[in-house]
Amino acid sequence: MRVLRYSAIVVLIVLWILPLYLVLANAATPSGEYAEKPIWAPPTSFGLLENMATAWRAANLGPSVFSTLLYAVVGAGAAVLVAALAAFAIIALRVRHGFAWFMLIYSGTIFPFQMYLGPLFDGYSKTGLYDTRMGLLLLYTAVAIPFATFIIRNHFSGIPIELSEAARLDGAASRTVFWRIYMPLSTNALAAVFVFQFTWIWNEFLFGLTLSRSSDVRPIMTALAALQGQYASTSIPVVLAGALAVSVPTLVLFIVLQRLFVQALAGTGK
Amino acid sequence: MERQEEATDSNAKPPQEKSRWSLRRLLRHSSRYWYLLPAVVLVGVFLVLPFLWTAYWSFTNYGGLGTPQFAGLSNYLTLLQDPILFTSFGNTFLWTVGSLLLPVGVGLLVAVLTFELIGGALYRLPFLLPYALSGAVVGVLWSFVLRSDGAFNVMLRAMGLEELAKSWLLSPPWNTLAMILAHTWQATGVSVVLFLVGLQAIPRDPIEAARIDGATGWTLFRYITWPLLRPMTVVVIGISLVNSLKTFDVIWVMTQGGPYRSSETLAVTMYRETFLLFKYGYGATIAVVLSAIVILLSWLYLRRTLRSV
Repeated sequence: MRVLRYSAIVVLIVLWILPLYLVLANAATPSGEYAEKPIWAPPTSFGLLENMATAWRAANLGPSVFSTLLYAVVGAGAAVLVAALAAFAIIALRVRHGFAWFMLIYSGTIFPFQMYLGPLFDGYSKTGLYDTRMGLLLLYTAVAIPFATFIIRNHFSGIPIELSEAARLDGAASRTVFWRIYMPLSTNALAAVFVFQFTWIWNEFLFGLTLSRSSDVRPIMTALAALQGQYASTSIPVVLAGALAVSVPTLVLFIVLQRLFVQALAGTGK
Repeated sequence: MERQEEATDSNAKPPQEKSRWSLRRLLRHSSRYWYLLPAVVLVGVFLVLPFLWTAYWSFTNYGGLGTPQFAGLSNYLTLLQDPILFTSFGNTFLWTVGSLLLPVGVGLLVAVLTFELIGGALYRLPFLLPYALSGAVVGVLWSFVLRSDGAFNVMLRAMGLEELAKSWLLSPPWNTLAMILAHTWQATGVSVVLFLVGLQAIPRDPIEAARIDGATGWTLFRYITWPLLRPMTVVVIGISLVNSLKTFDVIWVMTQGGPYRSSETLAVTMYRETFLLFKYGYGATIAVVLSAIVILLSWLYLRRTLRSV
């Protein structure tokens, strides 16, 4: 029984790691050597960094990385702040019809993105937001808000309302209650939401594909897909190295903050 | 809370300022809505409005220029007879069945096998790691594995299984099945995590009792763990189905829905009809149908998620 259990685990792990090994081994193969060695063999010389540099140049990744960093940092940050304000209004200030307001905001995370794409493209073209950094930044912020509101609202409702009521009785403005009580008590949840949304925006593809075109506006994953499209002109190791290069930030975040991701996942499965 | 506010206010203000006081009270009263405003405006403008617009377009023949002309249900009727949509529905169905069997099934297996195992987290890491990768990256990596001259075929040939080698991404239904496999590689981690949460939530007593009665292994799982895990299983199934319906990046990067539109799902067909064929109205119709299916299946887990709110 024990043996069966362990061998089943090992088989599954091998199945999961094998593609990763193949990718790593070939991303590290110098382009010239790729055709000569068996595909499963490790390279004789280490060409990963050089391949990454070639991919960087071929797909013009520099401007994309800068833009994507902007979207991910500012977008996730703005979404966390805006969501925290909304959650504060619903939980601590107890606005009327709080649940209805919450559902209105939360509805933004239920539907497939296809439900928004057409009119967004149309509207962006007509208002000049198409292919601008501002256009993508606003959209990423908006898309990140519903889920952020969900998590932060859950967290805020765990903070005893008496705390804010006592502060209000002492004459504190709601602004003060928000910044001095709710935000400091929630730093962990806020950080978790930020990291989660940063990762989501960094990995986003469909909106970037639809709403941008030029190489300094389009997000990184869209740029990567374009590199993949040039298989003919770029060698396979270069494309693989490019795919690994653009994954470095999220992989590092995930490995360092694994516990946090697992918690967020366990909360929703998004 | 409201009463307290009034009490502090009336303490602070002398009664002769009655009219100003009520204006202040109004401002103060509405001030709490200012906190809601940014979220509601952003979600309203960028998500809710486009949503309503798509719903409206689905009843028009809008092509991107001029004003949409109302066309009644004609898009919906076209959709029922469109051979492309027939393929697309078929593939979408394959995706839902596939993700029911694979990410959910394998996820359950991994979770149960590694639960309460020393070093379990380490065994689970390979399944969680792909979660940090984007769909586009997963598409690029698996294209390399499954291309006609890709790693998988090379290895099949090396093992003398030449006749099993295929142009996986070029021939239906293999292209769809191949992409479901790529998706499974990425999506299993989510199920593992959720099943693990479910396993941890199972009370110890029934399991101990069954153990004392001599139940082990499969019997224990079949009659005790599995029934107790059911609420979480429903959630995992709902989430997996919805995620598979929403899959776009992997397909777009690996086949773009081709060759000859043979591997499109609804999510991809909507994109192609709208942005490559400029049939905004028809694309919107597909989006509405896809959304309806997603909502139906989301109900499996949303009910539970929202109950916790």
